[in-house]
Amino acid sequence: MTDTPTPLVDVRGLDKAFGDNHVLRGIDFAVDAGTTTVLLGPSGSGKTTVLRSLNVLETPDTGIVRIGDVEVDFARLPAKGKGARAQIARLRAQSGMVFQSHNLFPHKTVLENVIEGPVQVQGRPLDEAVADARELLDQVGLSEKAEQHPFQLSGGQQQRVGIARALALRPKVVLFDEPTSALDPELVGEVLSVIKELATQGWTTIIVTHEIRFAQQVADQVLFLDEGVVRERGTSAQVIGDPTQERTRQFLRRILDPG
Amino acid sequence: MRHARRLLGLVLLVLVLLPAGAAGAAEGERPVVRVGTEGTYPPFSFHDSDTNDLTGYDVEVIKAVAEKAGWKLEFVETTFDAIFAALDAGRIDVIANQVTDNPERQARYGLSDTYTYSRGVIVVKTGTKGITKLSDLKGKTTAQSLTTNYADLAREAGATVEGVEGFAQAAALVVQGRVDALINDNLAALDYLNTTGSDDIEIAGTAGDEVSEQKLAFRKDDAALLQQANTALAALKADGTLAKISEKYFKIDVSVENSGDADLSGGRAVRSDAEIVQDAAWPMFRALLIATIPITVISFALGLVLAVAAALANISGSRILSGIARVYISIIRGTPLLLQLFIVFYGLPEIGIDLPPWPAAIVALSLNVGGYAAEIVRSAILSVPKGQFEAASTIGMGYWQSLRRIVFPQAARTAVPPLSNTLISLLKDTSLLSVVLVTELFREAQNAASSAQTFFPLYLLAGVYYWVVCALLAAGQGRIETRLNRFVAR
Ligand SMILES: Nc1ncnc2c1ncn2[C@@H]1O[C@H](COP(=O)(O)OP(=O)(O)OP(=O)(O)O)[C@@H](O)[C@H]1O
Ligand SMILES: [Mg+2]
Repeated sequence: MTDTPTPLVDVRGLDKAFGDNHVLRGIDFAVDAGTTTVLLGPSGSGKTTVLRSLNVLETPDTGIVRIGDVEVDFARLPAKGKGARAQIARLRAQSGMVFQSHNLFPHKTVLENVIEGPVQVQGRPLDEAVADARELLDQVGLSEKAEQHPFQLSGGQQQRVGIARALALRPKVVLFDEPTSALDPELVGEVLSVIKELATQGWTTIIVTHEIRFAQQVADQVLFLDEGVVRERGTSAQVIGDPTQERTRQFLRRILDPG
Repeated sequence: MRHARRLLGLVLLVLVLLPAGAAGAAEGERPVVRVGTEGTYPPFSFHDSDTNDLTGYDVEVIKAVAEKAGWKLEFVETTFDAIFAALDAGRIDVIANQVTDNPERQARYGLSDTYTYSRGVIVVKTGTKGITKLSDLKGKTTAQSLTTNYADLAREAGATVEGVEGFAQAAALVVQGRVDALINDNLAALDYLNTTGSDDIEIAGTAGDEVSEQKLAFRKDDAALLQQANTALAALKADGTLAKISEKYFKIDVSVENSGDADLSGGRAVRSDAEIVQDAAWPMFRALLIATIPITVISFALGLVLAVAAALANISGSRILSGIARVYISIIRGTPLLLQLFIVFYGLPEIGIDLPPWPAAIVALSLNVGGYAAEIVRSAILSVPKGQFEAASTIGMGYWQSLRRIVFPQAARTAVPPLSNTLISLLKDTSLLSVVLVTELFREAQNAASSAQTFFPLYLLAGVYYWVVCALLAAGQGRIETRLNRFVAR
């Protein structure tokens, strides 16, 4: 898509502790442009923290994150100050985040939710942003809902608006943190198919999910996280189809055959 | 911490703006002599029920003195119990309000030559037996302004003194039998009887044999003004002006000793309650429009800014800022508003911050609202889910932009009902402002009440005015709440 350096996302030595809880212990991985990466792992293994670190909603203690041509070395990032804020803002702008609980702005319409970032933050002209937003809403199948407020939508529709809001900023990579976990089972499909669609359009995505079938279908790369390290990595056929680590096998057994 | 600096800026801005507004409200050049007077003590100092102008014997005397002495006058109306504090604080330069000479006052103040000779009288409910002289008051209760000479006489006689604001209130307590008697100036008592046409109370006897002398009071260090006043009084006595003013009110010359019995029957006409209310309706409404409401609105707006600043400081994560915010909130919530008003108006001049009445009122009320609303704003901000901040961050918004566009609109839903209560309380709290010399609705009612020597119908009218405005506010609150709840599934 662009001629930024390969790979598009490069994460090296990511380390993070919350007090005594050493959550990330040297995470390394890379993501090529236009590919889909799925993060698997047991609860508490640090998946969310990895995604939030990429979007700098969490500040890693050490480690280097590069997305496109923006690189931040967290070991050297000052704790505060204008320079640090500018670096964080630039890195954050490279990725878009879709939350498990969508976090739409309840006081704004669907359309306003989508154009908020482009207009208020990126300073794009209103009519241009609106045209773009309508196209995105069309893409997620919600063009009719543009003037409604979030509370008038179903959970699946809300999550699709969340996706459109993330895409509207034209990020280099889109991060999904369990985008379907909070949904009723019958609504999961519509959201997953929107995400699948993104892959075919060339978006680069990193997805935390427990939907193993979905992961097998879309993932170009699967990372299995365990206790803050990447325990196993490879294609979905390798990691899900033929795991080499006992921890991975245990995890897959539990998740495929619950109870 | 960066937010901290902005916050500090916000607070400083408010603190700078407040006195700036103050400077705007102060007017007139310096060589003006400010006269403290009650405005609620007929026939000496009261508001004419037709014109609403301040008038009375003392008012006319000081005007005549000013003319002779070449002063420009500015009248400041205050309750008697705050009048010496105002003189001490330099808010006024002279008291023209029947200040009776006594040794304590001689020691503390510069007292002029005498312009009124009068006798104190004991007033009781008509038909009361056994109270005719001071010694009869032993063990009884009287109603007085606490800092008056008459209060001292009552205490010395062994009476318990109930503090009141002005003659009309004292008279009401006597009529209702809540106190046994009051001691006041013969002339004031006669004025009451004439104005109300009431025979519920009567003069039972004199308060001691001595004739008391009333004088203008200056600060001790203001010898020049005192000198000019005495020269002017001598001239006014010599040319008969003083006698003329006195005869207009009392038919006799009270500015000399032993002038005989005063006759106040030619004074103000007796009015019915309906006429009293009718006469006062417009001045009171005007005070509501030009003082009560604007002060409420301005103080509420500034108070909200302070509240937001304090709330953000409180949750900022900076120990210093949240410490400051918590101390501020605690002080405001832990002390009476009346005290805060006194400190801002009478206390700050001691350290060189001399705010005129309006700005002082606005500063005190804003600080008060800020302290109360801070906790409301804080919990409203905290009621917005953390995910909303994160969603705002993730689309690239900074701290202030997130607050303004995402957090505040949602926090408003939680904050509006309690803030409406704060606003409604504030409106009613403005009725305390007469202590800082602001003529708002309630003070105007007091003026009218003392001129009419009856206050029940006028306070009732004030109550109706307050109630109507509060009802309108409550209706507005309902509409805003409906608007804010529009986007929330219930
Ligand atoms: N803000 C925080 N403060 C303190 N501890 C945290 C914080 N966020 C996460 N943790 C801890 O870090 C660890 C990893 O959490 P994380 O949310 O990244 O796990 P996860 O792999 O996403 O789990 P799940 O599948 O349950 O979502 C957990 O032990 C969690 O309690
Ligand atoms: Mg998680």
